[in-house]
Amino acid sequence: MVGLTEMTNWAVDLIEVRKTYGRRIQALRGVNIQVGRGEIFGLLGPNGAGKTTLVKIMTTVVRPTQAAGTILGRPIGHRGKLGRVGYLPENHRYPPYLTGVQLLDYYGALAKVPQGRRRENARRLLDRVSMTQWADTRIDKYSKGMMQRLGLAQALINDPELLVLDEPTDGLDPVGRRDVRELLVELKRAGTTIFLNSHLLSEVERVCDRVSILVEGLVARQGTLRELTERTVEYRITVSGGAEALRGKLAIAGATVEGSVVTLSTPDLGRVNEVVDLLRAAGVLIEAVEPRRFSLEDILVQAMGRPLGRAALGPAATPPRV
Amino acid sequence: MQFWALIVDAFRESRDRKIFWVLVVMTFVIVACMLCIGFEQDRVTFLFGAWEVEGAYYSPLSAIGRSHIIGLAVYLLVPVFLGWIGVILMIVATANMFPNLMERGAVDVLLAKPLGRPRLFLYKYLAGMTFVLFQAALFVGSTFLVLGFRWRVWVPGYLLCIPLLVLLFSYLYCVSVLVAVRTRSAVAATLVTLFAWVLFAAPAIALDTYEQFPGMKQDNRMYRTLRTVARIMPKTRDIPYLAARWTNAGVSMDIFPRTVMEAGLDEEKRAQLERAREKEHDELAKNPAFSIGSSLLFEAAVVVCAMWMFNRRDF
Ligand SMILES: Nc1ncnc2c1ncn2[C@@H]1O[C@H](COP(=O)(O)OP(=O)(O)O)[C@@H](O)[C@H]1O
Ligand SMILES: [Mg+2]
Repeated sequence: MVGLTEMTNWAVDLIEVRKTYGRRIQALRGVNIQVGRGEIFGLLGPNGAGKTTLVKIMTTVVRPTQAAGTILGRPIGHRGKLGRVGYLPENHRYPPYLTGVQLLDYYGALAKVPQGRRRENARRLLDRVSMTQWADTRIDKYSKGMMQRLGLAQALINDPELLVLDEPTDGLDPVGRRDVRELLVELKRAGTTIFLNSHLLSEVERVCDRVSILVEGLVARQGTLRELTERTVEYRITVSGGAEALRGKLAIAGATVEGSVVTLSTPDLGRVNEVVDLLRAAGVLIEAVEPRRFSLEDILVQAMGRPLGRAALGPAATPPRV
Repeated sequence: MQFWALIVDAFRESRDRKIFWVLVVMTFVIVACMLCIGFEQDRVTFLFGAWEVEGAYYSPLSAIGRSHIIGLAVYLLVPVFLGWIGVILMIVATANMFPNLMERGAVDVLLAKPLGRPRLFLYKYLAGMTFVLFQAALFVGSTFLVLGFRWRVWVPGYLLCIPLLVLLFSYLYCVSVLVAVRTRSAVAATLVTLFAWVLFAAPAIALDTYEQFPGMKQDNRMYRTLRTVARIMPKTRDIPYLAARWTNAGVSMDIFPRTVMEAGLDEEKRAQLERAREKEHDELAKNPAFSIGSSLLFEAAVVVCAMWMFNRRDF
C-alpha cells in the first residue's frame, strides 16, 4: 500500500456518496472509494448493488443525494475533466442511423476532440477493436458483440485519463472477453486509470489491481486482490478414513468433516497442526494437507451474506487518506 | 464544435425518417405541377399548351395579375402544403427526437460529455428544427424559383416564408419537447402538440366570432378574458398574415382570397368580413413585433420549463 499512500492525487476519490431514488430506494448508502492513478480498479457486486448508480454519479448521469470528493483532482461533474473521462455505459445504445465511423466522430466532437485527432483516433481504435471492415456499416446491422467493441472504441475516442466501464464484457464471447482484457492491460501500461464495474468475477480477477465489493449500497470489502484472497484461508486435510468417528472432538477444534475431507477455516497453521495431532492420535492416516485461498467468488458470496459497512472493514481494506 | 455535431446528427436522424422523404417527394410533385402551368398575358396554359384557358386574370404583366400569382403561392401552396400538412408531418417526425435522446443507454454517453445539461438540451432543441428548416427551405426555395423562372414573378419577400414556417413550427415544437421530456413518449408528444395547436388558435377564432357581432363585445368579461389569453398564447394564426404582408409588400393585398372566397357572399356579410380582416391586419401591421415577440416569450417559458425538468432528471 505504500505506493498508494504516497499519492497525493487520486484519480477517483469518492467520499460518502449516497443516492436515494425517489423517497425510498436507497441505492447507495455512503460509499467511499479511492482509486490511484494508473490503477485498474474493479467494483464488484451482485445485480442491484448500486454499481451502475455509482458510475452514473461519477459521470453526472445521475444526480447524487449526497457526494463529496474528486475525479481527476476536480469536483465531480467538472466540465473540463469530463472531457478527460471515457465512459462505456451499461446496455448502451447508439443512434442506429450512424455508421461506426460517424458515431466515433460525433462523440469525439462532443468531447471536444479536434477534428484531425478525431479522424486519426477513430481509424486507430476501430482497428484496435477489430471493427475496421464494419466502419462504414450502419450500427443497426451490428451484433451485440460488435456494439460492445464499438462502445469501447467510443469510450476511448478522447484518449481518456480515466476510463469508466460498466459491464464491459457483457454480451461478448470468450474471445471478445480476452480481447477486452488485453486492451485494458495495454491501456494501463500507457498510464490510463480504469474503473471497471462487473458482476463477472473471472474477468475482474485477472486484470484488477484493487477491488471493492459493493453490497446493497455499501462497500463490504475493499483491498488489493492479494489482501482479499490472503486474509481468508482454509485448510483441507484429506484422510484415508476414520475421521467421521472423531466428529465431536473435531468440532471442538473448529473443523468439519465431510467424508474423507476435514476442513478447517483458519489461516492459523498452529491450529491446523493441532487437528493433525488429534487425527494422528486416533490413528487416522493423513493423505494430504492443502491450504486453500479463497477465490474472489468465495469472498463475494461471503460478503453478500452479511454486508459489513464501514466499521467492519479490516485495517488494510481502506487505504489511509492523505 | 459540439453544437455543429448535434446539428449534423439531428439532420442525419431526420434523414432516416420516412416522413422526411415523403415531404421531399411532396415538394417535387408540387414543383412539377407548377411547372406544367404557365401564365401568359391573355391566358393560362396547362401541360405546356395542351389545354388553355383565356383571360388576363393571371397576367404576369399587370400588377393585379402578379399579385394573383403571388397570392396563389402565399395563400394556397405554402399554407396548405407546408403550413398544414407539412407542419403536422413535421410534428410527427420530430416527436421522437427527445425520447430517442433520453433513451436509457443512449443518454448516458451524452450526459457524460463535457457539455452540461442545459446546453445539451438547448443545442438539441435548436438542432431539432433543422428538419423543418431544411424542408421549408426546399419547398419555399424551389417554388420561389418556379415563380421567378416559369411564372416571371420575382418576389424576394416570399423567401421570408422560410423563417416564418420555422417560427410557426417552433411555437408547437416547444410543447412537443416539454411533453417528451416529461413522458419520454413520442405518441404523447404528438397528440398533445396537435391539441395545443388547436388550443392556441381557439381564442383567436372565438374573438373573430365576436368581431362579426360587434354589439356583443361591449363590457363582456368573456371577450376580455379571451383577448388576454390570445395575447399570451403563441400566435400561430398570425403567421400566414405575416407571410402575406411581407410577400405582397407594395402590391394590393388579399385580392386572391377576396375574389375566391367571397364570391358567394351577400353584400353585408362581405363588408363585415372585410372590416374584420382589415382590423386584424391593422393590429398586425401596427405591431408584428408584438405578435412574434409575445409568442417567442411563451415558447421560451415552455422551453425553460422543459429544460428544468431535463436538468433535474436521473437517467
Ligand atoms: N432510475 C432509477 N430509478 C429508481 N431506482 C433505480 C434507478 N436506477 C437504479 N435503481 C435502483 O437502484 C438499485 C441499484 O441499481 P444499480 O445501480 O443499477 O445496481 P447494479 O449496477 O449494481 O446492478 C437497484 O435497486 C435499482 O432498482
Ligand atoms: Mg449495473
